[in-house]
Amino acid sequence: MRGSRPAPATPELEATSRTPVPAAGASSADAAWRLVEEGFDLAREHEIESLFTISNGYIGVRGSLAEGSAFSAPAAFIAGIFGRRPAPDAMPERVAAPDPLRLRIAVEGEELRLDRGKALEHRRVFDLKRGLLWREWRHRTPAGRVTRIRELRLASLADRHLLLQALELEPVNYSGRIEVVAWIERPESAAPHASPLPALRPVPPDPADEGDHTPPRLALRAEGSGAVVAYAVKSELRPADGPGVAPKVETRPGRVAERWTFTARLGSRYRLTRVVAVRTSRDAEEPAEAAAAHLARTGPGDAGRIVREHVEAWRERWRAADVEVDGDPSAQRALRFACHHLIGAANPDDERVSISARLLTGGIYKGHVFWDVEIYMLPFYIHTHPPTARALLMYRYHTLPAAREKARALGWRGALYAWESTDTGEEATPRAVLAPDGVLVPIRNGEQEDHISAAVAYAVWQYWRATGDVRFLLDAGAEILLETARFWASRGEWGEDGRYHIRHVIGPDEYHEDVDDSAYTNLMAQWNLERALEAAGLLRERWPGRWRELERRLGIEPEELRAWDDVAAAMYTGFDPRTGLFEQFRGYHDLEDVDPAEYASGAGPADILLGRERTRRSKVIKQADVVLLLYLLWDRFPPEVREANFRYYEPRCAHGSSLSPSIHALVAARLGDMALAMRYFRQAAEIDLANNMGNAAGGVHAAALGGLWQAAVFGFGGLRFTDGGPELEPRLPPGWRALRFPIQWRGQNYCMDTDEARKGEEAEP
Amino acid sequence: MKIESVVVPLDGTLPALAAVPVANALADTVGATLHLLHVCERPRRQAALLRSLGLSPEEMEGFVLDQRTGRPAQGILRYAGELRHPTVVICTHTGMEKPRGAIGSVAEEVILGAHCPVVLVQPERGLEPWALRRILLPHDGTPATTAAMDPAGDLAELTGAEVLVVYVAAPGEPAPTEPGSFAAPRYLDQPQHEWPAWASEFISRMSALGHPTSEVQLTLLMAAGDPGEQIVRVSREHESDLVVLAWHGSWEPRRAATMKRVIREAHCPVLLVRAARPRRGE
Repeated sequence: MRGSRPAPATPELEATSRTPVPAAGASSADAAWRLVEEGFDLAREHEIESLFTISNGYIGVRGSLAEGSAFSAPAAFIAGIFGRRPAPDAMPERVAAPDPLRLRIAVEGEELRLDRGKALEHRRVFDLKRGLLWREWRHRTPAGRVTRIRELRLASLADRHLLLQALELEPVNYSGRIEVVAWIERPESAAPHASPLPALRPVPPDPADEGDHTPPRLALRAEGSGAVVAYAVKSELRPADGPGVAPKVETRPGRVAERWTFTARLGSRYRLTRVVAVRTSRDAEEPAEAAAAHLARTGPGDAGRIVREHVEAWRERWRAADVEVDGDPSAQRALRFACHHLIGAANPDDERVSISARLLTGGIYKGHVFWDVEIYMLPFYIHTHPPTARALLMYRYHTLPAAREKARALGWRGALYAWESTDTGEEATPRAVLAPDGVLVPIRNGEQEDHISAAVAYAVWQYWRATGDVRFLLDAGAEILLETARFWASRGEWGEDGRYHIRHVIGPDEYHEDVDDSAYTNLMAQWNLERALEAAGLLRERWPGRWRELERRLGIEPEELRAWDDVAAAMYTGFDPRTGLFEQFRGYHDLEDVDPAEYASGAGPADILLGRERTRRSKVIKQADVVLLLYLLWDRFPPEVREANFRYYEPRCAHGSSLSPSIHALVAARLGDMALAMRYFRQAAEIDLANNMGNAAGGVHAAALGGLWQAAVFGFGGLRFTDGGPELEPRLPPGWRALRFPIQWRGQNYCMDTDEARKGEEAEP
Repeated sequence: MKIESVVVPLDGTLPALAAVPVANALADTVGATLHLLHVCERPRRQAALLRSLGLSPEEMEGFVLDQRTGRPAQGILRYAGELRHPTVVICTHTGMEKPRGAIGSVAEEVILGAHCPVVLVQPERGLEPWALRRILLPHDGTPATTAAMDPAGDLAELTGAEVLVVYVAAPGEPAPTEPGSFAAPRYLDQPQHEWPAWASEFISRMSALGHPTSEVQLTLLMAAGDPGEQIVRVSREHESDLVVLAWHGSWEPRRAATMKRVIREAHCPVLLVRAARPRRGE
């Protein structure tokens, strides 16, 4: 059943308060729009910081307590800012920039901290709808002074270079001296990051520059790359009914601080408003000057406007992205959490960066970019905000030279994308890791996980198909398709059986390395070759000038295209028509059948519990592999083949990767196994939101978030695209009364509603 | 963990004396007074008591020798209750009785009734001097178990001992439900990034909760299999001098299987630290 047009308005937002510090109670009233952390649990602080990160695609600031705690990891992550430690084999790593929202508040010399005195009330509320992080805190010092504090933060989605922090202080039972220090300082150590991250060193001011150094600013240079991060800050502290208090500005290399000291009166309220501008050497020649200049146009007096424009920007994004689940508040909240962080992860205006595995929310994965972007996240952007999808694909276009070089260095042609890439696209996968059981584990993904090239090509085609963006196809997309196809045509070899074989690879199931004829890899390569030929035909027919230019520049001869056709047609797939099964790779069926349910129970990854060697010799699968293939190339397989392969591979999967549960939920839903689908959906939702696993400490799981959205939209919603537009074949789990979501398809906005779809089907004769 | 008194119950058997070198070194380390305690049905004169314990007056220098009457375990517990910040160092069994399961009845009753830390010493270790160079701290990733971090850290700081934190992933065991738990990663998307991050997070999280000083060197080890078996194995392979176990107070059959196995099979003394029961997850 077709969706109706045009897109509906999202539920009306409350009128935005003009005050920069609205009470948290004034945040979106619906619990499914809010993430709330009551009280304070020190052990969970790293997770909370990740979950409550405010981000806008340019910068992410972890939701650390402004005053810190014994277990805080305050940091800001800025897209595309990498450094490199001075160590042999060091890879580029995204730097952890200073959290610019840190504060120290002391009342009569007593610091307000959760670990001193008593928190009478403490609540953090993340308003997913409006991208606002609130904190409400009532604290009694050891001497008995009670202070009420309310804080609001945002990373502006309307002006990605701006952060806003607004704080309200109220002495509840005393009048006395309060000192507030706000500071930005380069991190002294990389703790708690797993290994030291590249250092940030102060950029000394130009000695010849005798100009005015207001507003206060700080510039830091990343070790190994020279990239510069700069902050400038404008602050204002004033009582609700009086003149502002002037700060004392303190600067030293690597630190800038503002200090206010004032006598507070019982019952009065004091507001601190800080506007921080962030610029880097990626977007300004003189980042510190640029940050300061940015603040020439705005400041604390504009806080209300900054909030309103930010909220409006979020409203626009939600209008095109909100998935409404009728009947399951928990699933609803998980989906909004996913969409919120996906929206905050990418910048449509920057086509030189992509999304790291932990977005801008944490330090692990070092800002590296994987295939997750193209397979797990890109569908969300393609169908909710195509400009973002385009920018992410342009990152792959700009890193095409590095992909060509990687292929060349390994003896292949075309483009082989890095398994882990950073700003340049060069391979950044570490070669080994010392596991905590004391074993040095070689890492071969960078050498063998070649299916990433097909993932990029797949995403290019999905974008082209969904948007009809001719400019993109001609300027970038076609070239990616052709170069990745060229890679596959050189990567394999012809066997004596007359089939084309791709050997020594790792498929999505990374428990089995150095395998031959991975079904996933081979079929995706075959698809890649076919789409490249289709694109070539399209260009030749409709844009012959551009095709001739590409032919000439890439050195494509007609014989090469014929060879691609031959390779695709002869690709070995491992399909057994008797059983309807694809063999995951050559020899898989001969491996030991071990039930992963006996081992992988939440106590740890299967390869540790079972042992790496036994896992390698078993059929235990790390993550959706053939099952992922079923989803990606769904229409290629008849229903009985989908069913047979899912039923065969699903019980053998240990879900040792966060990428796995969502895809199993999606395919199970499409096959109509709603109980199983819902079990996997919940498992996917809990990856970050469960409070007893600590998974999110190093950042939230980008692919799981994207996978969750796909499970809802393409699984339960059964979204398909036909020549007539998007259609639904909904299969809702028990308890879900309806599912509604907006979709963009070929320039049109559609509102998909399973309720309407069902009514439509009932009405059909 | 504050220790001002170290109590060694002796029953006159040779095996019971195995606790003395451990207790002596422990008392030396923390600056506590060592109390040798004999509990019997009728009081004896000190000289006779010394003889019955196989000790000479010269060997008693720096010690306190006391006796109580009544049932042994009750006497030990009452005595410990009279002291400031006591720790009991007791042999798992002494041969006067047949050990029941993992541990003799007196030691078992002391463990169950003690409000203070208890160090269990295997009598087989004999009278060899004992020194603390390496402490093994088994940890299941729950905040409740972090109770063991304090005493391990304190002892390490006093002695300069290294602390090996061992986490055992047990096949078939469900993940802990206590909020704030940090068990083995359920998802290991890319081990080259996840393992170093997991180890770092584990240590930093447990350190934040357990407050060891920065001077204490913590090393995380991971093993897979039966927790009791693996803790005993790692303890032997790394030649640890003390295993510090957090215990939530359950002792019924089929409960505390790991602790019982470690007490029974560990090659070195085991320090039991009472920990709060884990909070229930949401």
